[in-house]
Amino acid sequence: MISFITNFTSAIESLAKVHRLLPWLIAYVLLLFLPNLITATFGEYYVDLANRCCLFILLAVGLNIVKGFCGQVTVGHIGLYAIGAVTSALLAQNYGLPFWLSAPLAILVTCFAGLVVGLPSVRLEGAYLALATLGLGESVRIMIAVTPALGSSTGIMMIPAPTIGDYVIESFDHYFYLVMTAAIIGIYFSFVILNSSTGRAFKAIREDVIAASVSGINVPFYKLLAFVISAIYAGLAGALFAHMPPGYLHHNNFTVIEMVTLLLMVVLGGIGNIWGGVVGAIVVTVIYDQTKDYYFYQPLIFGITMVFLVVFMPRGIGGVIEQAIVKRKFIEKHEEQNLGTS
Amino acid sequence: MALLETRGLSKSFGGLKAVSGVDLKVQPGTVHGLIGPNGSGKSTFFNLVTGVYQPDPGSHIEFDGHDITNLQAHGIAALGMARTFQLLRLFSEMTVLENVMVGNHCKTSYGIVESLLGTSRVRQADQKMKEEMLDLLEFIGLANFADIPAGELSGGQRRLLALGRAIAMKPKLLLLDEPGAGLSPVNVDKLMETILSLKERYKLTVVVVEHILKVVMSTCETISVLDHGQKIAEGPPEMIKNDHAVIEAYLGRELPDEEIRNAIRGQ
Repeated sequence: MISFITNFTSAIESLAKVHRLLPWLIAYVLLLFLPNLITATFGEYYVDLANRCCLFILLAVGLNIVKGFCGQVTVGHIGLYAIGAVTSALLAQNYGLPFWLSAPLAILVTCFAGLVVGLPSVRLEGAYLALATLGLGESVRIMIAVTPALGSSTGIMMIPAPTIGDYVIESFDHYFYLVMTAAIIGIYFSFVILNSSTGRAFKAIREDVIAASVSGINVPFYKLLAFVISAIYAGLAGALFAHMPPGYLHHNNFTVIEMVTLLLMVVLGGIGNIWGGVVGAIVVTVIYDQTKDYYFYQPLIFGITMVFLVVFMPRGIGGVIEQAIVKRKFIEKHEEQNLGTS
Repeated sequence: MALLETRGLSKSFGGLKAVSGVDLKVQPGTVHGLIGPNGSGKSTFFNLVTGVYQPDPGSHIEFDGHDITNLQAHGIAALGMARTFQLLRLFSEMTVLENVMVGNHCKTSYGIVESLLGTSRVRQADQKMKEEMLDLLEFIGLANFADIPAGELSGGQRRLLALGRAIAMKPKLLLLDEPGAGLSPVNVDKLMETILSLKERYKLTVVVVEHILKVVMSTCETISVLDHGQKIAEGPPEMIKNDHAVIEAYLGRELPDEEIRNAIRGQ
């Protein structure tokens, strides 16, 4: 298993040597065939499921930046998702803005909200920060639930689908191209950020705040930056969700349970591991969807899974694989050295 | 002109005066020792100078011509002050190379927006930085472990890495908080050699806190002694060795018999 993964990654690395974007392009082109494949084998409903997977990938990747890289425990992410969705929906419905304008504006608004959610992180840490962000996230949902202009209990209906010229993107498989493109770009940029000085600053803050600050990292600034970047992801996912066929959103989409599901994705996949978060998002979304008949037990089972994960596999699937690879490298290096000396 | 100068530096925690009224001057290009019994305020002094703690009002700290009294830690670091910690505080889940690259953070040549977009300039600058940092790791003998998480290193290697991370900042002043703690005497000598060679290579000024007096006496040009938060002596090693106040602080005072008798009787 591990050797398969190392072979796979080295194959990708050799592709990336030709051009660093080549593996991404290949993945993108292959994914273009996915909706046809899914429709042929499973049916159209599952394309919709794939769309939702892409949205949750965006959310999980964004959450991973603030929680996984930067180590800030936030439970308000779903509130940002809600803000992105409602803003874009209302802008499109009330002011007739096209998706291509309402979505960027929604992202802008979400960024600002992300800054607000992030402000407590300057002073609070760990569980206290979780509580503060939980309050902010949940208050967004309640605000939506009680304000008629924001949809209240009926939700927002008939949100116009995105258009390109005269063409309206309203079928599931065509919408897939949109969300998949967004997800791929999102994943790509999270790698860019992780490998830059900003990503290293995030990780340093996660590991040791004091050591980071005496290394010249402006800790409050980078914490807020992490929140804002994750808000871009959440806002984009929210806007895409709002305009996704059938163009309907309800505050029930933004409950704490959804937030827990989102956390489960990141924890299952591996905190601070980008591909782990992606895999976690797909696995959890599919399982969640396939066990809908037992919706009554879902929160219970997800909660228990989370507890077991945190106790027995705190670094998730991605973490376990990563550690195995590191161990292998370490052993190889020692063997090399031993060969060198003997 | 002194590279680092404190005037009336004080810090109290509640009623406890951890550091009170310390005047200290560190001359550029020297190795300056800071010694004192446990709890005498050496680490607090470091934390005050590097901005980890804010000093009490009335304190004054000047570094390289800048008033840094009320600056935050990252601002002071950007001016060229680096430090190590007694408990190292490595970024243990990041690789050895990443650890030193974080040390080099202030010298990043590209802006934040660029780093988020991953422009070609960012990639080139990072590649150049990586080479530079690998060179540094080579010098301290950790190049073989560049892509291994810092947490997997042995104790001695971790101490070296902590030093490397501080050096990566290309500082003017390097503050070392007990660099030899937990090392065997042979390794301490080796470490001091490394420190001195780094000092020559990167033209550093060094302030070192150390409990192993033999090491301090042999490497430092000037030594300051703290006791109960106050500076009780300062000077070259020979002078410190024979200073009454210093001997008293370390070994206690020799009392005349009569005083001991009175103390026992409770008078």
